[in-house]
Amino acid sequence: MALVSGPGRGGVPAGRDPAQEPYLVTEKHVNYIKSLDTRKDELEYWLTEHLRLNGVYWGLTALHLLGQPDALPREDIIKYVMSCQSENGGFGAAPRHDAHMLSTVSAVQILATVDALDELESEGHGGRIKIGKYIAGLQNRETGTFAGDEWGETDTRFLYGAFNALSLLNLMYLIDVHKAVAHVQACRNFDGGYGVDPEAESHAGQAFTCVGALAIAGHLDLVDRDRLGAWLSERQLENGGLNGRPEKLEDVCYSWWVLSSLAMIDRLHWIDGKKLSAFILRCQDYEGGGISDRPGDMVDVFHTVFGLAGLSLLGFPGLVAVDPVYCMPKHIIQRCIQKSR
Amino acid sequence: MPNHGKSREAKEIKRYRELVEAFQAQVRDGDFTPELLQKTAEILNTNPEYYTIWNHRRRIYVNEFNSIQHQYSECGLTAEHRDGQILDIIQLDLQFLLPLLMQFPKCYWIWNHRIWLLDQATSLLPAAKARPIWEEELRLAGKMLSRDNRNFHGWGYRRMIINSLESEALNGKSMAADELDYTKKMISTNLSNFSAWHNRTKLILRILDEKCADDDERKQMLDEELALIHKALCDPYDQSLWFYHQNLLCAFDPDQASETLAPRLTSAERLEYVFEELEFIKEMLDDVTDCKWIYQALIECRLLIAKIQHGMSKQDQEEVKAWLTELRKLDKLRDGRWVELGQKLGI
Repeated sequence: MALVSGPGRGGVPAGRDPAQEPYLVTEKHVNYIKSLDTRKDELEYWLTEHLRLNGVYWGLTALHLLGQPDALPREDIIKYVMSCQSENGGFGAAPRHDAHMLSTVSAVQILATVDALDELESEGHGGRIKIGKYIAGLQNRETGTFAGDEWGETDTRFLYGAFNALSLLNLMYLIDVHKAVAHVQACRNFDGGYGVDPEAESHAGQAFTCVGALAIAGHLDLVDRDRLGAWLSERQLENGGLNGRPEKLEDVCYSWWVLSSLAMIDRLHWIDGKKLSAFILRCQDYEGGGISDRPGDMVDVFHTVFGLAGLSLLGFPGLVAVDPVYCMPKHIIQRCIQKSR
Repeated sequence: MPNHGKSREAKEIKRYRELVEAFQAQVRDGDFTPELLQKTAEILNTNPEYYTIWNHRRRIYVNEFNSIQHQYSECGLTAEHRDGQILDIIQLDLQFLLPLLMQFPKCYWIWNHRIWLLDQATSLLPAAKARPIWEEELRLAGKMLSRDNRNFHGWGYRRMIINSLESEALNGKSMAADELDYTKKMISTNLSNFSAWHNRTKLILRILDEKCADDDERKQMLDEELALIHKALCDPYDQSLWFYHQNLLCAFDPDQASETLAPRLTSAERLEYVFEELEFIKEMLDDVTDCKWIYQALIECRLLIAKIQHGMSKQDQEEVKAWLTELRKLDKLRDGRWVELGQKLGI
């Protein structure tokens, strides 16, 4: 799945009656995503190879939310994912790319989505346990933190990723959950939000990763819901969109990071959902499909999935329900968690 | 013309793919030579997000460092020469990264690679030789932050550099006081810099702990910060300022105080402070009546007072109710939140 942006731009087409209710161009989004892998004549297709596996996760999830789970051939997806595995058990972003936490999490999410985690048990892949051990090996047992890869960059994004993948694999016992949770606690700020590390300022993306990790660990009791909810709700701007930090521009991907966090702490009603829906819909390319970060900019698959996931959480009709913790279809998470029990 | 553009793009794709192919072939053969280093540079100049290439670049350097170390221990290379060679490698690469960083200031991998190089300096060189490289990097971080004063990576990166400069490995000592001055400088050029205000929160806690400040010193710091934020709040529409104000109010909240800069205020002191804040904010209403932040802060102060006093008088409740009504008029987006607050307070 290529991350090539455009060619279209988000925005309400000229000449359309602004009073008309905005609508979702479902079919166009499906075609847009299906067309992404045919754009090999664009340099950007090749320059974004380091995000290929994440791209498959974004595109596939978007299609599932749009109610078109079979729009991409299942066997091809599985084959591609498996071709990205490294000897150490982790997955790279594409064949011959080094293993990294972020692409490994995407691989697990994709396989879970197409109900193919059993493929890992096939010969030469080492089974779930090998991937689990790769992820667990990235935890610093002193501090509880997780690195992105062997080179050691540390961020709560990786901690959340580890929790996400290991819980889908039913392998949480491989890591020190207690220390990791304590680290998340240390990343909390007075404003109720969370930073990338204990010294960093609050950021909406980190609210999602930290609250998501606490949700998976069964520790939402550690969140100051009113304070965090207040900070998150202040992310909404007059145009309906949400930003990631105070005094920043709105962006569709934050409609997901902020909204899912609000959902996890039962504060979804603290913002104006109708205005946010309208904002996301205004970011669609009504002709060619796809969603952009804000009206007037080029669409891409990253903003497409997070726009759709946001709409799904807001209960927009016609979309499959999304799970706020995993950003995957809710029924799939229920299936995985049931299986693991 | 579009066809012309397409054929040029096709050529670029071909060049790029051949470059990557050739590179991967050399990697497969385990051919970690300076020539391979040149190829990584070519690829990264086109595509700095290609993280695997950064990894290979580091593997090449690890090889080189090992070989220099070997020459030192086995072949009579002097320590002076060994350090010189390592320093050259690190500094050359830091220079190579500079234009890339200017072009792609939000690319994580470039920052990561710089930190890796700097860490190599710390672990491979004597402190006296490694420290100047880190000091130079601090100047660079300052430059980057003056270009974009809210750059997330920029602030995180600056903190990483400071942590290293403070470390024992570099014969460092705490720089928290200098950093606090730095945040003040940043705030004075742009009041609305939440990143700088945030850093202040963390630095003040450290400074007080490091000097084992007593309660009077802590109170004095609190007073200075309140004075600073009051001065800044001449622009009441800026939420960065109100978040910092809210931070300071935590010192008066019995449930939060223990983690704040003044953890041991008495209840009477807390009340006195909050009443002062309440009066200060009420006065703002003389000039500005359409700013939602003022009403939010007033309600917060009242609720804090009620928490300390274990209850709210009928009259105060009426006051909160009036503010909440104003707030609901001004802040339609968050109406669900304000309705819920009203219900919670039974008003």
